[in-house]
Amino acid sequence: MNSKSKVPCIPIEGSISYEDWLKGRRHRRELGNRVAPEILRRQSSSSDRRLKKLFHGQRGLPFTPTKKLL
Amino acid sequence: MDAGKIKSALTDVTAEQDPTIKSLKMASLCSALWAERGVELVVVGGSAIEILTEGAYASGDLDMCHATNASLPMRERQEIMGLLGAKGGPRNWQVAGMFVDVLGPVESFARTPFRRVRAPYGDVLLMKPEDLLVERVLVSVYPGENPTARGCAKKLAAMILDGSIPVDWTEVRRVANLPEYRNIAECVKLVEEVADELKIKSPLHSD
Repeated sequence: MNSKSKVPCIPIEGSISYEDWLKGRRHRRELGNRVAPEILRRQSSSSDRRLKKLFHGQRGLPFTPTKKLL
Repeated sequence: MDAGKIKSALTDVTAEQDPTIKSLKMASLCSALWAERGVELVVVGGSAIEILTEGAYASGDLDMCHATNASLPMRERQEIMGLLGAKGGPRNWQVAGMFVDVLGPVESFARTPFRRVRAPYGDVLLMKPEDLLVERVLVSVYPGENPTARGCAKKLAAMILDGSIPVDWTEVRRVANLPEYRNIAECVKLVEEVADELKIKSPLHSD
């Protein structure tokens, strides 16, 4: 457990369960948004051709909005 | 993993529309299949940072390396990925609506363990955040300013400072002082900046 919140941490030793990892997603997204722009996905890379072909002109699936995370 | 389980897992991964969950599930499935043949895979780079931080950073590919010394022979790699209906190879494949790259041996300097998520089809190993932080800070500055890498490093630093991703700061300092990086000053500066923004004290000093 994260000492500063009720969110489970990803520990150094041992492991985090999938359910606990899911529970921490919203907290991690919101925390990151305090120090950097929400979406950081690069606009281009050497993989553009294959990515844009598979994802209909995008470089990946759209990210789940923060409010929809657990 | 029997054919029925693989089929069911593949259906689940293919249908998944959240890119981060999809990556984690795919890493779990691939890791399980490779582990049955004695090779441990580890998620690296931006793919690992995405799973650790929810940073909305990764694109539609999953980068993995092997943590064990040996990888699998090319023929066996193709056979495993063939079980998943993958196209391409022998180092990158299109599978279940995404791309999977298995890049070679993992490059890690930290003496801490890989982080571990007990994911739906088997454990997923994630690159050590001590390595990831120092590496991302380096890329944010060299060979030139890189705002995306800087944002990524800041989000990772925030998770670490907040306690969501505990790290061994002694290892962060040691890795940043290695000849491979020599960027302790940049790491200290970035972590202090994030600590200030979060109004907490930075535990990283250059001495």
